[in-house]
Amino acid sequence: MIEFSQMTKIVQTLRHLSLVLLIVSNFLLIAGFVAGKIVLHKTEDAIKFFARFSVGICTLFVIYFVSILCFSIVCLFSQNALCSLIFPVFLFLPFVIGKFSTYEKVHFYTNIQIVTLVISLAIALLIL
Amino acid sequence: MGKSLDFEFIHENKCKRAVLLFHGMTGSPYEMKKMGKALFDADFDVFCYCLPGHGTSPINIKTVRWQDWYDDSVLHYKELTQKYDEVYLGGLCLGAVLAIAIAQEYQNVRGIVSLSTTLFLDGWTIPWYNFFMPIGVHTILRYYYSFPEREPYGLKNETLRRKIAALQKRNTEALDNYPMSCIYELLKFSKQTQKNIAKVTAPILLMHAKEDDLTSTKSAEFVYRNISSKTKNYIKLENSYHLIVMDYERDYVFEKSIEFFNSLSDFSPEKTKQFSQQEKVGV
Repeated sequence: MIEFSQMTKIVQTLRHLSLVLLIVSNFLLIAGFVAGKIVLHKTEDAIKFFARFSVGICTLFVIYFVSILCFSIVCLFSQNALCSLIFPVFLFLPFVIGKFSTYEKVHFYTNIQIVTLVISLAIALLIL
Repeated sequence: MGKSLDFEFIHENKCKRAVLLFHGMTGSPYEMKKMGKALFDADFDVFCYCLPGHGTSPINIKTVRWQDWYDDSVLHYKELTQKYDEVYLGGLCLGAVLAIAIAQEYQNVRGIVSLSTTLFLDGWTIPWYNFFMPIGVHTILRYYYSFPEREPYGLKNETLRRKIAALQKRNTEALDNYPMSCIYELLKFSKQTQKNIAKVTAPILLMHAKEDDLTSTKSAEFVYRNISSKTKNYIKLENSYHLIVMDYERDYVFEKSIEFFNSLSDFSPEKTKQFSQQEKVGV
């Protein structure tokens, strides 16, 4: 049987790990989107570059989503309901932004995406 | 540029039957031209127009929605129904989905030839990282990402493959990539078409290559199983990839399409001949 103190320790470690993962993936996502935004119209025909770039961003998104999920669940156990309520919002935001975006306004929506990522990064850093 | 790729093959003496052809995603009427000529030689007037966003700059394709493709196709279909007694539809890839979607809405479609129908993107050249597709497609990333077109370019015929690769570099007759936003629209359109598939009652001929590199036979089988058409045929091709109207078995594809349309037509050469013979005998 796992004792209560051990359980608390595991929860704390998981919380810390998922938060660090969230911060790192969040930071890399911001950097990726800013870079993508700058390069997009300059190298429109660099298909292979953008294919790799997008696969990279997708991978980061997966890590970002998993860390948000982990962190939100762990927060429930560590009696921090506010965190487990706030972070899942960031899980859905990329899809909401994606739903409304158009090619003509791709820069505008990329900016919104970056802003939401910056907000989630700021909150994660505050919690850390 | 897009409009200059359109073609209309019209007989001098008034023909009563027409075929409206639709090209595939990121393609152009260029890929349907040989089929158009074969149908024209078989006494059909043939029409094929560049779909919105196609045949111009690669950027244009990122700005279109599936409704634009559908509305434009319906417009051409309606125009033809005013002029002809029989209007048949034929399409490749996205074009096949368009033909089916029109038949869902308009019951007066005389017949459909659906080639390499693309409802699911599950062919063998789809990259290994395809499992990221939901994230790529449903987020803003779809405007950044394009699937690079690569060997075999939908063709088993290697000589043609080189020709198509050269054409794709010009990015007019065919694009050298599939923009994710375009795939997003195709998938939305496919979903819509799947939902209403039972509404199709028009006779249909499905042809699909066993080794299709872009979409497996699952799409054609789905249509075959779920449509309400009484006349439905499905032919699996053994020696082609996705672009069956250009590949090794293209002549067979043309022959079967003509045979199918003629079997439905009241103005096919055999029926016209029979009719004139009956008139002579006084039946």
